[in-house]
Amino acid sequence: MARIELNNIQKKWGAFWGVRDVNIDIKDEEFVVFLGPSGCGKTTTMRMIAGLEEPNEGEIKMDGEVMNDIDARDRDVAMVFQGYALYPNMSIYENIRFPLRMRGVPKDQHDGLVKKAAGLVELTDYLDRKPSALSGGQRQRAALARAIVREPQVFLMDEPLSNLDAKLRQAMRVQIKHIQRALKITTVYVTHDQIEAMTLADRIVIMQSGMIQQIGTPDEIYNDPTNTFVANFIGSPPMNLIEGTLSDGTFVADGVRVTGIESTTEGKVTLGVRPEDCTVSASTEAELNGTVYGLEPTGDVTYLTVKAGDKLIEVKADRTYRADLDVPVQVAFDPDRIYVFDSEDGKRIQ
Amino acid sequence: MASNRKKSRGESLFLRYLILGGWALFCLAPVLWFLSIGLRPRTEIITPQPIYIPTFSLDAWHMIWEDWPMGKYLRNSVAAIIGSVIIDLVLAIPAAYSLSRFEYKGRDDIGFYILSTRMMAPAIVAVPIFFLFRNMGLLDTIWALMLVYAAINLSFVTWIIRSYMLDIPKELEDAARTDGAGEIRILWEIIIPAILPGIITASVIAMIFAINEFLFTLLIASTPDAYTMSVALANFTGGSDGVIYNAIALVAFLAFVPVFLVVVAIQKHLSRGLTMGAVKG
Repeated sequence: MARIELNNIQKKWGAFWGVRDVNIDIKDEEFVVFLGPSGCGKTTTMRMIAGLEEPNEGEIKMDGEVMNDIDARDRDVAMVFQGYALYPNMSIYENIRFPLRMRGVPKDQHDGLVKKAAGLVELTDYLDRKPSALSGGQRQRAALARAIVREPQVFLMDEPLSNLDAKLRQAMRVQIKHIQRALKITTVYVTHDQIEAMTLADRIVIMQSGMIQQIGTPDEIYNDPTNTFVANFIGSPPMNLIEGTLSDGTFVADGVRVTGIESTTEGKVTLGVRPEDCTVSASTEAELNGTVYGLEPTGDVTYLTVKAGDKLIEVKADRTYRADLDVPVQVAFDPDRIYVFDSEDGKRIQ
Repeated sequence: MASNRKKSRGESLFLRYLILGGWALFCLAPVLWFLSIGLRPRTEIITPQPIYIPTFSLDAWHMIWEDWPMGKYLRNSVAAIIGSVIIDLVLAIPAAYSLSRFEYKGRDDIGFYILSTRMMAPAIVAVPIFFLFRNMGLLDTIWALMLVYAAINLSFVTWIIRSYMLDIPKELEDAARTDGAGEIRILWEIIIPAILPGIITASVIAMIFAINEFLFTLLIASTPDAYTMSVALANFTGGSDGVIYNAIALVAFLAFVPVFLVVVAIQKHLSRGLTMGAVKG
């Protein structure tokens, strides 16, 4: 049970900035997800919390105590790794028991704790096996059991599900969230998968090029992106970003005309609208006039790609929607869910 | 179609057996030849006409055990070799750990230096080594043989173990560290078990080099006190008896047997990587 503060953390390798100006205050029992593309500094930040990497500058605090000079093995932190990192020569039982032995937990408690942790991840029947005799999902659960066995102050999870198939991933997601809630342990979770981030997190930290782009609840991140990077990163398919000009509250681009935008900004801007906030319309007054470029029925929804000028715009249409290629189509935008970004730096204007 | 395929598979299997069998015969022929010479009377070996039906004789066997202290030579060999491998492992494992895991200035240079000790001709250091051991009073002892064998093998034992260590995912150590293990614990409980096949491979190769070592052994062992199998072989040439081929062949065969048994016993480890299943894959 711990609060983690990262104050002005910097990590540099030569001239390369790994992590830059990172400031986060993670509350006790909170589930925080670091989300970003590979190389954005999310794993490095996590490794600094674990003590496996040292920041060049800044302070890492746990419950108010500065941890910078404290060794990884003396921090009460457990980590789950992307590649599971189970000890190949030890049985699953010994793997789960290892942190207890290392941390000097009295021997007579080991058996009970190991079995309890194995029970939580449903691995009780596999304790005698070697890691090589387990499937990917079982290995991942063994790694999870090894992390929870000593009930640490902090859980760190580095893309723990990325090696699993989609179905298993969904099941493990539910399990991880359940265990975290049950044990009430502050958790930092790193992923590049926005679905994992949205479903697991109390708060999401979006990173790019070593810098935090936005911190917020999944709803805030989805509804109020602070810049085009965040807007484009969250949502599937991602938000449509359309370059155009704004004057007198009217946005104009090839095939696109949006009126009534409450902004005093004039000139070049980027308009953002999510595919799910677009609807196919019969009216020629609709915001988007283009032609059908592609149609992807998936069963529960049909993805329509509209070509306007040289721009392709994704629309989430009704699942029964069908149209021939290259026929004209009109699309209306939900006027309450239109975003305007600065074309230069991508910052949100309205 | 099906029968055609079956036929061609049968043919390729036959071809495979033919090639592998031929290769096995090629490798084993000298060994069997040694054994056959060793178990025949001396008169039969040096006859110029081929003899197709050999006479079985234990002359050489009795000779090497009764006229010569072969048991002692064998013990000397085993003691010197095992001692040298232990010295090698004690030094090479920490060295390899350092070379494969820690970042420091000159690390790669040190690694190359260690390997480069293997690049010079042994004869260059033969005389200095002789004087060194003489001054230390170690001439004619198996301690000196242990040290020499260990020195000869140390460089490549270090490099083999280092290459196995490089294959261990760094995550494994990170995991152990966050689980609360220190460096020594990590080396002892995580790294060494994971690279056991590498340690065994390196040890076996070191043993084979050591059992065949001749030059330094001859230099250091001046009396039968420190003779090993390889030097003992040289005793069967020259002197009033001439070259005693059957004894040479039998001793050579006996020197081959322990290495062969060791390799058979640990075959599994020589080929199988224990790190399987540690990480994804």
